[in-house]
Amino acid sequence: MSEYILEIKNVTKMFHGLVAINDLSMKVKKGQIYGIIGPNGAGKTTLFNCITGIYTPEMGQILWKGKEIKGTTPYKIAELGILRTFQTIRLFAEMSVAENIMSGRHIKSKQKWYNGVIPTPAYFKDEKEQWMKVGELMEFFNLSQYATTPAGDLSYGVQRRIEMARALAAEPELLILDEPAAGLNEHETQELTDTIRKIQAMGVTIMMIEHDMEMVMSLSEYITVINFGAKISEGLPSFVQDDPVVVEAYIGSDEEDEHE
Amino acid sequence: MMNKTSMIALVLLLISGVYPFFVDSAWLAIGTTFLVFSCVAFSQDIILGRAGVFHMGHAMFFGLGAYTTAIMNVQFGLPILASWAPAVLIPMFVAFVLAGPIIHLRGDYLLVATIGFNIIFIQVLENDVFGLTGGPNGIFGIDVVRLFGFEFASQTYMYYMAFILLGITLFIMRTLDRSKFGRAMFYINKDEIAAQSMGVSVRYYKLYAFIIGAGIAGAAGSMFSVQYSAVSPEAFDVTQSIMFFTIVLVGGSASLPGVLIGTFIMFVLPEVFREFETARYLVFGLAMILTMILRPRGIWPVRFGNIPNFLKKDVK
Amino acid sequence: MDIFIQQMVNGLTIGSLYALVALGYTMVYGVMRLINFAHGDLVAMSAFVGLTVYTQIFGENITSLVAVITVFVFTAAIVALVGVLLERLAYRPLRTAPRLSAVVSALGAGLVIQNSVMLIWGPNMKIFPSNIFPSTIWSFGGVVITFTQVMILGLSSILMVGLYFFINRTKIGTAIRAVAIDQDAAKLMGINVNRIIMIIFVIGSALGAVAGLFIGVYYRGVTFDMGWMYGLNAFVAAIMGGIGNIPGAMLGGLMLGLFNAMITGYISSQWAETFTFVLLIVILVFRPTGILGEKVAEKV
Repeated sequence: MSEYILEIKNVTKMFHGLVAINDLSMKVKKGQIYGIIGPNGAGKTTLFNCITGIYTPEMGQILWKGKEIKGTTPYKIAELGILRTFQTIRLFAEMSVAENIMSGRHIKSKQKWYNGVIPTPAYFKDEKEQWMKVGELMEFFNLSQYATTPAGDLSYGVQRRIEMARALAAEPELLILDEPAAGLNEHETQELTDTIRKIQAMGVTIMMIEHDMEMVMSLSEYITVINFGAKISEGLPSFVQDDPVVVEAYIGSDEEDEHE
Repeated sequence: MMNKTSMIALVLLLISGVYPFFVDSAWLAIGTTFLVFSCVAFSQDIILGRAGVFHMGHAMFFGLGAYTTAIMNVQFGLPILASWAPAVLIPMFVAFVLAGPIIHLRGDYLLVATIGFNIIFIQVLENDVFGLTGGPNGIFGIDVVRLFGFEFASQTYMYYMAFILLGITLFIMRTLDRSKFGRAMFYINKDEIAAQSMGVSVRYYKLYAFIIGAGIAGAAGSMFSVQYSAVSPEAFDVTQSIMFFTIVLVGGSASLPGVLIGTFIMFVLPEVFREFETARYLVFGLAMILTMILRPRGIWPVRFGNIPNFLKKDVK
Repeated sequence: MDIFIQQMVNGLTIGSLYALVALGYTMVYGVMRLINFAHGDLVAMSAFVGLTVYTQIFGENITSLVAVITVFVFTAAIVALVGVLLERLAYRPLRTAPRLSAVVSALGAGLVIQNSVMLIWGPNMKIFPSNIFPSTIWSFGGVVITFTQVMILGLSSILMVGLYFFINRTKIGTAIRAVAIDQDAAKLMGINVNRIIMIIFVIGSALGAVAGLFIGVYYRGVTFDMGWMYGLNAFVAAIMGGIGNIPGAMLGGLMLGLFNAMITGYISSQWAETFTFVLLIVILVFRPTGILGEKVAEKV
């Protein structure tokens, strides 16, 4: 097995004949924080949707620990240990924060098929264990005070934390973050940066799309830049930052980069 | 809050426990049917209110249970007790077979497909396919429950059997809500894509909901056939399905008290106003519209946040 | 062969009626994502309204083109008004509510309309006079076509083609399509969404009224609760075609009418509904959003 936990090889994804991702390749090392940047509409989220099984690419390979996972349904991807957050937050809005995070424990729970109807001692034990874990995560993300609050009633910054806690509850090997800092203020962004470092320290590999250049440059160990669905540059943050192709892509696009 | 709800529950339990001693036989029968319909409504709520599947053919599973008991008893001379397990298992099996191919359909498409199953079921009953269902008239003369030479024949026994059935149903609902299965259904209901991304198989849990729901409805059907000692197709047609569907939404999806209130309003109140035969469904329709406008999530909406106490210590 | 052609004519006749009713379902669904369960009862109501208009204004025995046109226009106008009221009172307050709440409201509205018809016109079957249309019959070999059938086929074709051009070629039609795709965006472009929804209900109800009148003229016997059966068939037709899709409703209606006629002609009317729903389920298994319905990809 190679040193790479996730390999994307020549992936192409089309919508109604339009190319959203064009012959894209990248390799993610275990334990790495991997950044993906690029102007809006470049195909970054589409790439994440291909990895997590929401879309199936027409061409190419997606290898997870050397095994092809292209076309695997999303829930099985999660069972493999690939968990994600969404660019537009997708929480179970009416449900409490604790119940939202509990969804991450779904794949870790050992309840038997009949436990939905008949409780057994093992079921009670499992139920308790999962809630304990939820409690730990609420403490880690400083959410305990909101345990019973409906997730949809909370502020944007808090919702982003709940989404990360939920993904982390599933004990992922690879955590995919789609613009985790979007909509956060400076203080919250700083907290988020620290949190991501702590998650990395737990041994979780992280892939992240982010527009906040300061954050993505300081966190990422390796960066791929995408524009119009294709890779235009990759390398260490210091290299990518000064790559004229990248500068051109950002200035040439409609997108205003508010952080420069 | 918790205490107030428990108090109400306790009072209701007491009232319903002694109810048979204070009413005449007509009202006793209504009480029994109320308990049976509550079971069916709860089972509809597993599919509709929890898994969020637009299911408008639930009377079929209710009818399958009823006809299983009726056919086994009247056509094959088996005791009622022997029909209990098949009356639960056959609807479960049918749910699995029928829901399998359509479970991936989007809301409204699934709604009309389930109506379709119900209509086909009724035509099969009316056309008396295997000479077993008795055609449009149905089957008469269903026996009572007998155990060790004892007959549970009186309406009071019927009432308490239905009472126990509702107790079992409530126990299942409570277990379901506090298990990964019930929660998975809610996750799918609230956001299918997010649920899948957390490792929840949409297909598995929607089918699970269907199968459990069908089993409970089947048990209720068996009880229903014994209570009236007869079954006929019109008791299980789409109109009935629409009633169960409406009960859940008027009362409050996924809310235990809500579904009981819904059953009371949709079934017991029309019985109370029986004298106003002609106008009552007009008023009824108006009430449905008004309830939805005033309480779009039902009269007693579900409250989430039912988590173990040790997680609430920091909640202000 | 004669039976086949005869059943085809009968099937297309009833199919165009389904199509007219299905259009009402599909247009409302397209714009509001609501199954208007009261639509079938509106159709039933129009038969009764039409009958009253006919007998009150013209008496039993006068038939003339003017009389027929008047009845159709009057009835369509009254039913359109009821449709608009229905939207105002039962659906508009629920536009932001959970989708199923509006479905329950629609079911309630259906009960209200159905029972109002029963209270006004009584629970018994009413019979349409036989002389509304001339009793001319054409026969080709063994195939018989009645004047009423020709009228039904002709007028519904005209209405459907007209609707198609209205939706695709006029300014209001464009606005309707815009609202169907994205209400918020349409609002931002200055489209009055409430007005568009009102127009949808006027058109849908008026088409339903025409269908209801034709049902009366064609089958003659009408009952207060017949809306359920016609509504369900038309709704199934709309789903088959792909609900929300206007040509889909027309196609679905005609297809279902033909299919029903063939089943009744060659197999048995006892199993008609079973065949209908088996066909529906088979179509949905292979095309989960109906024949012409587009797959809606959810934005992630």
